[in-house]
Amino acid sequence: MSVADRDLVVSRLIDAPRDLVFQAWTDPGQVARWWGPKGFVTIACDMDIRPGGAYWFVMRSPEGTDHRKRGVYREIVAPERIAFTFAWEAADGTLGHETLVTVTFDAVDDKTRLTLRQGAFDSVAGRDDHVIGWTSCLERFGNYMTQ
Amino acid sequence: MMPNRLDHTFAALADPTRRAILARLATGEATVTELAQPFDISLPAISRHLKVLERAGLIARGREAQWRPRSLQAEPLKEAVDWLQQYREFWEQSLDRLEAHMAEVKKR
Repeated sequence: MSVADRDLVVSRLIDAPRDLVFQAWTDPGQVARWWGPKGFVTIACDMDIRPGGAYWFVMRSPEGTDHRKRGVYREIVAPERIAFTFAWEAADGTLGHETLVTVTFDAVDDKTRLTLRQGAFDSVAGRDDHVIGWTSCLERFGNYMTQ
Repeated sequence: MMPNRLDHTFAALADPTRRAILARLATGEATVTELAQPFDISLPAISRHLKVLERAGLIARGREAQWRPRSLQAEPLKEAVDWLQQYREFWEQSLDRLEAHMAEVKKR
């Protein structure tokens, strides 16, 4: 099974050259401008951009609630790929379920194909599976539960 | 959402045999023997998988001691589906904003 089958995958063709898109992901001043869902404002953004470096973001929702998340960069390969761990942080500092996010940037003429994978697993158990991935599994259970 | 339960749910789902067991139980309850039948593994091995699924709260045991059919428990799976959906929306909306940002950057 490919990694894609196990992970949440979001892909987008961005109308900008790869170098610029990579910069937008690694320059804190730019990240703060677009990171987060619609209406969210990044009010703190601490990024130590290097493998092993930590980041910490605080986003404020349209309702005024602050959301904190933190993680560690695992890979910084300009301008092709970055990978980082990702976990939400509760008000008391405890961390939620940790995932690994990998973002790849492929040049397509003067545009960029951005592919983001988020893995839910902290182990490599079951990596030899060739039958079904967990996302399709969950989608089927989603259907099952709404029957 | 309870993060620890989510960890257990995803750990339990990280195995093809356990996912197949859950898929079988989605069609109705079944005994351990029935659940073991499609797999070329021993009953004790199946029992270990069932224990993992039980600990994650994904399946429940019937009360009849002899028969003890297992059934699917949907609530932890619903949390996992919600988790997935929440992240998909998080990234899709972030990428919408990234696209708008890149349009600004290119104008400069």
